[in-house]
Order: sequence, then C-alpha cells, then structure tokens
Amino acid sequence: MVVVTAACAIPLDPPPSGPADGGGPPRQGGVLHLAVPEDPRWLDPARGYDTESWSFEQMIFNTLVTYDEGTAIVPDLAASWTTSPDGRSVTFTLRHDVHFSSGRPFTAADVKYSIERLLKPSIHSQGAEFFHGLDGASDYIAGTTADVRGIRVAAPDRLEFTLTAIDPLFLHKLTMPFAAVVDREAVERWGEDEFTLHPVGTGAFVLVDWTHGQHLRLERNAQYFRAGLPRLDAVEVTIGLSPQLAWFKYQRGEIDLAGIPSAEFQRVQADPRYRPLILSRTTLRTQYLGLNCALAPFDRLPVRQAMNLAIDKHRLLELIDGQGVVASGILPPDMPGAEPLPGYPYDPDAARAHLAEAGLASGFESTLWASRDENSMRLAQSMQQDLRRIGVSLAIKPVDFPALIEAVRHPGMVPLFLLGWEADFPDPSNFLTVLLHSRSRDTNNNTFYANPDVDRILDEADPLLDPSRRFALFHRAEVMIVHDAPWVPLFHPVGSAVRNPRVRDYILHPLRPARIEQTWVAW
Amino acid sequence: MIAVLVIVAVAAPWLTAYDPDAIIDPSYHGPLSPGGSHPLGTDTLGRDVWARLAYGARTSLFVGALATILSLAIGTTVGLAAGYFGGLVDAVLMWVVDLVLTMPSLLLLIVLATVLPPSQLTIPLVIGVIGWTTFARTARGEVLTLRERDYVQAARALGASHARIILRHLLPGVIPGVVVLAALGMSGAILVDAGLSYLGLGVPLPTPSWGRMVSDAQTYIAVAPWLVVVPGIAIAVAVVGFNLIGYGLIDLVGERR
Repeated sequence: MVVVTAACAIPLDPPPSGPADGGGPPRQGGVLHLAVPEDPRWLDPARGYDTESWSFEQMIFNTLVTYDEGTAIVPDLAASWTTSPDGRSVTFTLRHDVHFSSGRPFTAADVKYSIERLLKPSIHSQGAEFFHGLDGASDYIAGTTADVRGIRVAAPDRLEFTLTAIDPLFLHKLTMPFAAVVDREAVERWGEDEFTLHPVGTGAFVLVDWTHGQHLRLERNAQYFRAGLPRLDAVEVTIGLSPQLAWFKYQRGEIDLAGIPSAEFQRVQADPRYRPLILSRTTLRTQYLGLNCALAPFDRLPVRQAMNLAIDKHRLLELIDGQGVVASGILPPDMPGAEPLPGYPYDPDAARAHLAEAGLASGFESTLWASRDENSMRLAQSMQQDLRRIGVSLAIKPVDFPALIEAVRHPGMVPLFLLGWEADFPDPSNFLTVLLHSRSRDTNNNTFYANPDVDRILDEADPLLDPSRRFALFHRAEVMIVHDAPWVPLFHPVGSAVRNPRVRDYILHPLRPARIEQTWVAW
Repeated sequence: MIAVLVIVAVAAPWLTAYDPDAIIDPSYHGPLSPGGSHPLGTDTLGRDVWARLAYGARTSLFVGALATILSLAIGTTVGLAAGYFGGLVDAVLMWVVDLVLTMPSLLLLIVLATVLPPSQLTIPLVIGVIGWTTFARTARGEVLTLRERDYVQAARALGASHARIILRHLLPGVIPGVVVLAALGMSGAILVDAGLSYLGLGVPLPTPSWGRMVSDAQTYIAVAPWLVVVPGIAIAVAVVGFNLIGYGLIDLVGERR
C-alpha cells in the first residue's frame, strides 16, 4: 500500500485560471501581489546592493538615466545630455515636470546632494567606489572640501559632471540605484539611518506601510511625472514566504508572480496550462568553477586545462533544468562586445593526458568550496563525479554563502570554488577587469590569476570610448584568459518566473530587477 | 528486520550493479520513476536510489555501531569507577554526567559537527561522546548494589586488587544492563545520524546516507515521492528493529534474574 502511493507522483496543480493575453488596452488600477522570503535589506538607494532591495528602490526612486528593455541607455530624470569632446565631462538638462512624492519640485541640487550623500564615508556605501572618478571626490571623502567639485549645478535644470579621467562607463554607473535621487528634506527629517524606513523619491510608487517580517505596501504616486503611469494602484508584498510556499500561494492565485521551484520545473515547462505564463530572460551572468592559480597544483597550466576538459557542462545544465546556455568563455553571450569562443570540449581522455603532462597521471586530491544550497550541492557532486573519472578526488566543503564570499578572498585558503558573477554594467570590463586583472586580486579576482600581458591589454582597453576598438581588445584579453584557464566557465543561467494570467506587461530585464510602472492587471 | 539490514549493508555490492555515487542516467530530465533497471528509480542527480539505499545501510549501521560502542565504553568505565570507588570519585564523575546531560544535546551535536573536519568518523565520534551518560548511570546503579554482595566483599577481604574486583566481579554483572541500553542506543544513534545528515552535517558528500537522501529530495515530494518515502521507511525499519531487539533483551535479562 505504502509502496504503491510512494511510486505515484502527485499531479501538478493547475495555475490560476483566466485568459493569459488580450483584454483590450491596459487597465488602470488594481493591486499586484508579490512575495519575498525576507525583508528587503534597504530601501535607501545609497546602501542597498542586492536584487531585492533594488527591485523596491526602483519603484520609489529614479535615476538620471536608465536602461530600456535591453541595455541601451535612455533618459529618466534627465531630458538630454551631452558629453564634452575630451570625454571628461557630461552635462545634463533635467526634466521640468518632476516632483518628489512629498510635493517638492525636483532640481539639479537634489542630484548633487544625493551623489554627495552616497560618497560620505559615514554612509559606508558599497556604491561609493563607482563615483570616485568624479573630480574632487577624494578631497570630499577626505573631508577637506564641503562639496564635490566635479558635480556643478549650473542652473536648476542643468547639471555638469567632471571626471578626473575618461570613464566610458560613467553613464552606466548613473543608471545604478546608488545614483538615485533622494529627497533631502526627508533625509534630514528622519536622519541618515532612518531614511530607509521612510524613503521619499520621485518614483512611480510611494511606500505607505512596512511592517517588518510581515508585509510591505506601496501605492501609486499621484504626482508621478509620466502621465498615465503607473498603471497599478498598489503593490502588496508578503514578507517571509519561502520559495516553496510562494509557489503554492501562486497556484492558489494569492500571489501574482513567483519563481518556479527546481523540483517542479520539468513538469511546469511541459504543461500547456503553464506555458503561456512562463517568463524567461537571458541574464548577464556566468557561473564558474574558480581554480586558485596561487595554489598547487592549480598553479600549473596543464592542470587547469585538464579541469576545463574534464567537466561535463551539458550535464550541469541539465541539472538546472536546461535553464541557461553552456559557457565556453568568460563573457555572457548577450554582453555587448562578446564574441563566440571555441572554449574547451568535454574530453576526459584529453584531460588525463594533460594531467600526465603535468606529472599527475595518478591524479590528486583537492577541496571544492560551494554554497550549501540545494542546487550548488547538486552541481558540486556532478563535478565531483566528472573529476573522479580523471583520477581527481574532490572533497566538497559546503559553507554558507557569506562565508564563501569571505573565504575566497584569502589567498591559499580555497583551492576550488563554485561561484557566479552577474554584471553590474553591460560592458566586458565588468567581467574581465573586475574579476581577472591582477590588480583585482584583493577584491574580486578570487582565483589570484595574474598575467602581465592580459593586464596590459585590459589597461589599454578600459579608458577607450570607441566601442569597436574597445571590444576588440577585450576579446583579445578573453581569448588569452580562456587559454590560461583560471576558470572553468560552466554556464550562463536564464532568469525565469511565472505570472498570474491577469498580470500583463511584466518584463524581465537582463541586468536589473524588472520595472513595474508599465505593468497592469487585467482583472 | 535487523538481520535483513545487516545483510543488505554487507552484501550491498552484490545486490546492485550500480555505484551509489555514480551518475547513471545518461541525460538528466528529472528523477526516473521506479521500475526496470532501477527498482527504486533515480534521484535528483540521476543516481540509482536502490544502490544509495543499500550503501546507505552501511553508513547508518557503521555510524550507529561505532557511536554505540564508544558510548558503551566510556559510559561503562565511568559508571564502574564511580560506583565502585564512591565518595569523591563518584561525586566528581556524576557531576560530569549531570553537566553533559544539562547541555542541549542537539545543539552540542551541531556545534561539534560544524567545528570538526567532516569525515566518516566525525559523526559517530560526536554522537558517541555525547551519548555515554545513560550508560554511566546504569552501570553505576548496578555496581552500587553489586559491590555490597557477599562475593565482592569476600574478594575484597582476600586482598584482590581494585582492577581484579572491577573486571572479574563487577563487570559481568553490569553487562546485561548496558547491552540492553546499547540496542536502544543504536536506534537512537541512527536517528541522530539521520537528523544530522538531514541538516547537512552528516557524512561528507557523496557518501550515501538515509538522512541526507530525505533532505535532498524533500522539495521533490510531490514530483518524486519515492525519493523521500523510501529512505524514510529505511530509517523507520532500522529504529523499530533495534528497539525491538532492545525490548527483547530486557525480557531475556528479566527472566534470567
């Protein structure tokens, strides 16, 4: 009896019912119901640096420029901008029709205030480093000047940024929520630390209630500068739901958007009732196995190449339900400037030959550090079996994610690690320079890879404004890095979610959390 | 029941054609249902569940047995010493027992299992080192009555050494009681091992263990219930089996007396 029930899967529950498309022109009004596993860490744009914080900050605040549905930069609070011929200053003309949700009109001084606030050492913003290139930023941070010279308010609607050196990424940096414009009066009323609980911006929504650990409610900003937006009256967020619970609530129609649990993915994808409701989007992410180039035996090229040849990446992709593409290089395929690379095939025999060349024909032992979540553990065990075939005996060390991030920064501690990187900007430097330049060894270059030739090419490419020359150099660097093999690039995951059929115009973004000002509900 | 488990554990390599750690299913599209060449299906990595279950019996029995032997050895030694010498020795040893008993054992287990390097031996050592207190109390209780018996008094009067009295005259009297406890302790140790594995603190990956099989598959309970139910039944069978042995021994010991 028990055996019989054990053998039968429980049928997949249907999604909430209703037509998935149509319903005429966008409807105004309605409430969108969301769920998150825990409170957003911050609703203060100077401080938040995680996906969840950003998704809510984007509802409450605006930046001068932003991305369209892809990675092209479009105006947001700015009406237009010009870059000086030497590339070192950018002048913005601002919109005239923008008000904070408090009613106060928005001016250029508010932008200057917000970015200077971000740079204040007392804020400890992880985003400050992105704006260190502003002229006078270092003096301001040192406390020798009262403001940042490089941010000049020319008129209430004109703002001029001056940089110490050419920075092709400056506009991209301005799209980050770090550079969002906050209401100075609200910051001063509530204080720097309380502002996160009472955020005031120019955005499409206003925070009306945040009961920690329970729920969060945002309502439409009646003064929002884009006519007719947002379309929703409110966003109601339930806090503290595990992904599994959120999935059940989604099926019952209590939550409008949810992630698909890995266990259910195959069935959901095969189910015609769900198919029109699945949202997916390639992201600018690379999942990789990091090889510590400073630790034996990974200090030797043939060993690193053997690792690349030994791992069955198609298998790993199957284990994540095919939600991505196999990686052959460092850059995600959607990254501007990314060119296809041949990479390494899955070839255990060649891998053994490389090990023999390194004098390790009988294999060796090593330890793989990975986050202890279910998916990472499955990927780690699959690689463990792959490496067993070439005689490499791998111990898996499961650790909590923050501990993993901390451990990989210590040279000589972690021989192998499983990590992913998601681009902050759609630019190759955000992978190649940030993760693989020898200068980054005390921050994000956790493989401690150092090749002076690669460094030289990256240094040459970084300040170039001309995309074709810039991208050509980055490609050259990437080819050299793939040859040197400090990483085993595994795959580029795809982001996915399901929607309630009533939810329309909810579009996943390749780089940032989805924006919901266009989103509407059909009933 | 236990005989079957022991046979499965010992004969695991002959009962399955598969390596429990190897990924069998050539292309993964979710766990395979039971049937055909995989009598219990495959798991969330495409490994044979029956092979993992059979080898998992080895893990569970090894952990249970080692932990129990360790508990028994420490506990009986302490109990004998405390009961025989009495006085200050007894007071200090029983104070240690009380100290260990007051500590929340699961918390202590988690701390020790986290701090110590993961290996096949870590978990049984940790469980054994924490579980000896009941053995100590039982052994001490027995000794307190035995040491007043005439034959012990006689041995002492004849000038027998402490070691001789303890080993020849007291230990045999203590053994029936602690063996009963050992059978019950075995089921307890298996359960604790399953619990620790479930929390991700058990034997290192990819060694199969029943507790980890349950925890790895828990989100698949609707999709592939056998992944959770089968190791769950195995844990239940082992625990019930050792408990029955324990109670059977109690009856046996009771009759002899």
